Amino acid sequence: MLDLIMLLLVVVCFGLATAYASLCEYLLARPTGEDGSL
Amino acid sequence: MTTAGWLQIAIFIGIVGLLTRPLGGYLARVYAGERTFLQPLLRPIETALYRIAGVKPDLEQSWYQYAGTLLLFHALGTAALYGLLRLQSWLPLNPQDLPPVSPDLALNTAVSFVTNTSWQSYSGETTLSYASQMAGITVQSFLSVAAGIAVAVAFIRGFARRRSATIGNFWVDLTRGTLYVLLPICVVAALFLVAAGVPQTLAPPAEVTTLDGNTQVIARGPVATQEVIKLMSGDGGGFFNVNSAHPFENPTPLTNLAEVVLIMVLGAALTNCFGRMVGSERQGWALLGVMAILFGLGVGALYPLEAAGNPALTALQPGQTAGAQRPGGNMEGKEMRFGIAGSALFANASTASSDGAVNSMHDSFLPLSGGILLANMMVDEVIVGAPGSGLFGMLLFCIVTVFLGGLMIGRTPEYAGKKMRSSEIKMTILALLVVPAATLGLAAVACVVEPGLAGLGNAGPHGYSEILYAYTSAAATNGSAFAGLNANSPFYNLTLALAMFAGRFLVIVPVLAIAGSLAAQPIISRSAGTLPTDGALYVFFLLGVIVIVGGLTYLPALALGPIVESLQVTNGMLY
Repeated sequence: MLDLIMLLLVVVCFGLATAYASLCEYLLARPTGEDGSL
Repeated sequence: MTTAGWLQIAIFIGIVGLLTRPLGGYLARVYAGERTFLQPLLRPIETALYRIAGVKPDLEQSWYQYAGTLLLFHALGTAALYGLLRLQSWLPLNPQDLPPVSPDLALNTAVSFVTNTSWQSYSGETTLSYASQMAGITVQSFLSVAAGIAVAVAFIRGFARRRSATIGNFWVDLTRGTLYVLLPICVVAALFLVAAGVPQTLAPPAEVTTLDGNTQVIARGPVATQEVIKLMSGDGGGFFNVNSAHPFENPTPLTNLAEVVLIMVLGAALTNCFGRMVGSERQGWALLGVMAILFGLGVGALYPLEAAGNPALTALQPGQTAGAQRPGGNMEGKEMRFGIAGSALFANASTASSDGAVNSMHDSFLPLSGGILLANMMVDEVIVGAPGSGLFGMLLFCIVTVFLGGLMIGRTPEYAGKKMRSSEIKMTILALLVVPAATLGLAAVACVVEPGLAGLGNAGPHGYSEILYAYTSAAATNGSAFAGLNANSPFYNLTLALAMFAGRFLVIVPVLAIAGSLAAQPIISRSAGTLPTDGALYVFFLLGVIVIVGGLTYLPALALGPIVESLQVTNGMLY
């Protein structure tokens, strides 16, 4: 039983990291307005 | 302090400096897929591996695909190592009939080695079978560092490429790093260690009769092969509990010097690899210059502090003064064969580089020295760091530095030919905030809950330092321990695993996102308004940013531990 819980933790953590990558992709793709470059 | 001690440190710096350029050039050729002297031997193996795994080496990945592949690979690696540790009693190569590792410790250990941390809440020689050490720990040591270097190379490609939708192929980078870089060095260095006296055997522990007639069990095993990758990978997880303080892992002063070089050399060479890939070796030397200054400050303070001895014991122990027959200084927790200089150099290299191997007990260092070791880790492993993660950690600080420079003069910041827009800055901040958040947040929790306090071996500020060190080490993927703390409990095993996971993968993801974003940009040419990033001005600017950001983030935490303890030691209070 404990083994299942531990492996589930692994799956959840890596799943969250993948969701985090999706969030980063969303943030990068979102138009941010033009930088005031000179 | 002795001249020989300083000479030892100078020789180490000289060797690493001399190896940086040739090894950096080799790395650049390997990751560009160019011909190297090992290609005739290894190319057929590389091709066969791609064919077996169904990898198309010419098919490159976007940053999101690259990150997804890396996460999937490490998820499977974590599960596999966990399973191996839990099943070791039913598997071969277990001459001691060791039982399965407990579930929480197995999870901690699996995460630890997959994240290139190698935090060990156990004694290797009495907990892990040979199969677990060889097929589990050693394999993950190779793969985790190969993945770290792959991420760094993908990050560099972000700077080096123009208008590209891809940043490389994770499988190819992983394979090339393992085959062309790690394995050849490991074979040569392992043979050197065996010649120097490090055991490499599958025989069970030796039983010997001592002079007074008792039986003593002497642990041994396949040590040499694990030793090299432990050092070179930035992993640091030893075969024995006392790591490189054990005479079977690190038998002589010569092996000690070789081990410190192995800890630092790949990370240093990657700065040169960066310079070459972005078309200006001076960019790489600037980064190495910052790393060298930070390293020099650390060891330059650590050695005199430890050599001066413990002020509270000066009146009691005249032996703290160096003499012809004694090393002097604070020798508690240090090996006589390494002395103060060899211990200070190793400790500074290990914490600066994120390796985490130890040849002396960091818990026994003087409070301020312990603070230096903590600070080395707190600057986000940018003082060379683990191969790969050290470089991308430093590049994150470079982005912050040019951003601050840009704010001062009102220009969009540029670095290595790429503009740093708001999206890159956001990703950089995300990456840089993860480690302090995990370190300070989890350490704060451990300081107030019963399971956290139950693991303490010392009271007062020293006990607090033990907790702070554990989470700093885990989140910075260092893996060295401050001893004192008993971390083999469900609370510490799970929370430290969380810190290691966050400190590794929640940094890598935004780093790859930045790489993808930069790769899609054109390369802009240098103009009169571009901040030069390969000169002395930039070196000190970057240095200031690292020190100030680290100082602002962690100084209060350090003040409560090593700094207050140091003040108390001068008043004779010991913990």
